[in-house]
Amino acid sequence: MSGVLGLLKGLGVTLGQLPKKKVTLMYPDVQPEWPDRYRGVHKLMPDLCIVCNQCARICPTSCISLSGTRGEDRKLHLETFDINFEICILCDLCTEVCPTEAIQMTDTFELAEYNRDAIYKDMNWLTENGKQHALRKGLSLESTEEAVEQNNQLEGNA
Amino acid sequence: MATTELRTEEMLLNVGPQHPSTHGVLRLVVKVDGEIIREATLVIGYLHRGTEKLAEDLQYTQIIPYTDRLDYLAAMINNHAIVNAVEQAMDLQVPERAEYLRVIVAELNRIASHLLFLGAYLLDLGAMSPFLYAFQERETITQMFNEISGARLTYNYMRVGGVKWDAPPGWIDKVRAYIPHFREKLKMYHNLVTGNEVFLGRVKGIGAYSQEKALGYGLSGINLRSTGFKWDIRRNKPYSIYDRFDFDIPVGKNGDCYDRYICHMMEMEESLKIVEKAVEQIQDGPVMGKAPKILRVPAGEYYASVEGAKGELGIYIVSDGKDKPYRFKLRRPSFINLQILPELMEGQNVANMIAILGAVDIVLGEVDA
Repeated sequence: MSGVLGLLKGLGVTLGQLPKKKVTLMYPDVQPEWPDRYRGVHKLMPDLCIVCNQCARICPTSCISLSGTRGEDRKLHLETFDINFEICILCDLCTEVCPTEAIQMTDTFELAEYNRDAIYKDMNWLTENGKQHALRKGLSLESTEEAVEQNNQLEGNA
Repeated sequence: MATTELRTEEMLLNVGPQHPSTHGVLRLVVKVDGEIIREATLVIGYLHRGTEKLAEDLQYTQIIPYTDRLDYLAAMINNHAIVNAVEQAMDLQVPERAEYLRVIVAELNRIASHLLFLGAYLLDLGAMSPFLYAFQERETITQMFNEISGARLTYNYMRVGGVKWDAPPGWIDKVRAYIPHFREKLKMYHNLVTGNEVFLGRVKGIGAYSQEKALGYGLSGINLRSTGFKWDIRRNKPYSIYDRFDFDIPVGKNGDCYDRYICHMMEMEESLKIVEKAVEQIQDGPVMGKAPKILRVPAGEYYASVEGAKGELGIYIVSDGKDKPYRFKLRRPSFINLQILPELMEGQNVANMIAILGAVDIVLGEVDA
């Protein structure tokens, strides 16, 4: 008899669930909403980069490579910046060490490609990704200083 | 009709590595005599990434994201293990708020891990719906982690000397509101599963082992506690601020699959108690203490362990005073708990094989490291 009771209790839970709302998100028709700190694919602000190489050095998987040249103002300017997303683990350590916050995380998360070369992202792609992210989040595109400040506010560590 | 004896022979059955009920890429080669298992051999290493060797080439901060990928169902506890080990070795102080945040996220992660056990275990036994109920609650916890650390699975949240970010505004209140909600859900799980006669028939008395055997195999965590041995690193060798919380250590009696299941359920309640106390006591303050920018562990050997979701998770560091470890060894509870499996499976039938394997609660990321 107790066995039947146990089964009935379980059935009660199932029946209780029937009128409840569905919780499944119908991705990709409905896009998920990510919190502000979400660590998706990076964005890059090339003007801010001082080519200090700290991001490349802290990267646990060594997926960042960058180069720069000394301009007429004797400052280093970024020339190439590549991230190999085949081995990037999106750990966020590069954005943590960046002294000028030239590299930041966005909420882009779809990285699937049809070939391996396409997953190797360069400076232009990363900059464009930043612009798309700013459009989605309603951030300013006017000045880089403003962008950095807004990003800090998003992460809650202003 | 002449009654001749049926000629039978033993058969080798290969289960995995691509099999849903081996919880990852575990391979079992079982010798079966009809329905009865005569011998089971475990083949592991399909997910081996050489974490220990890789760590020798990495700074201590860089190792933290690698620990996320060991027991990926409880990455916060793995984070806690390594930062705790390095802090103890370097004798660093951690701010109060950071310690509380660590305990809150670690215990929530323990709940999330046990919820996955609940769901996946019943799925192994043929019950589909508990998995969906369990994942609904796990999703809430995952969302909370996403808000505090920016990731759903590989959090990389703790740092040597504190935590990466303070809790976002309203996060602590969210956790506070979640506690009574989850208590209700736990009752629901008990209604749904614990009294079910079919479930009880599958787990009671199955896969039982004695306390001596568990100790002999070096089991830890719920696999040891289910035999009635009260051993929990949080209580027996307190680390972090666990000595401030009052919680019970649920133990089983017979060491069978049912006891392991019920220990998981009871541990969720205890974790909830710790979270409840922690959100009550947490004060404002800094979340990052004074830690040198380049971490150099003084030369010597260090061992520190935490109570992981699966058992004692130990970190053993041999340092020669540089910023990278000379040798980095992980005591992975899943790997050690797995050793008892061949013995448990002998003489059981094939259907029980899955029930026994599921109850040991392994994560292949941790087994293979």
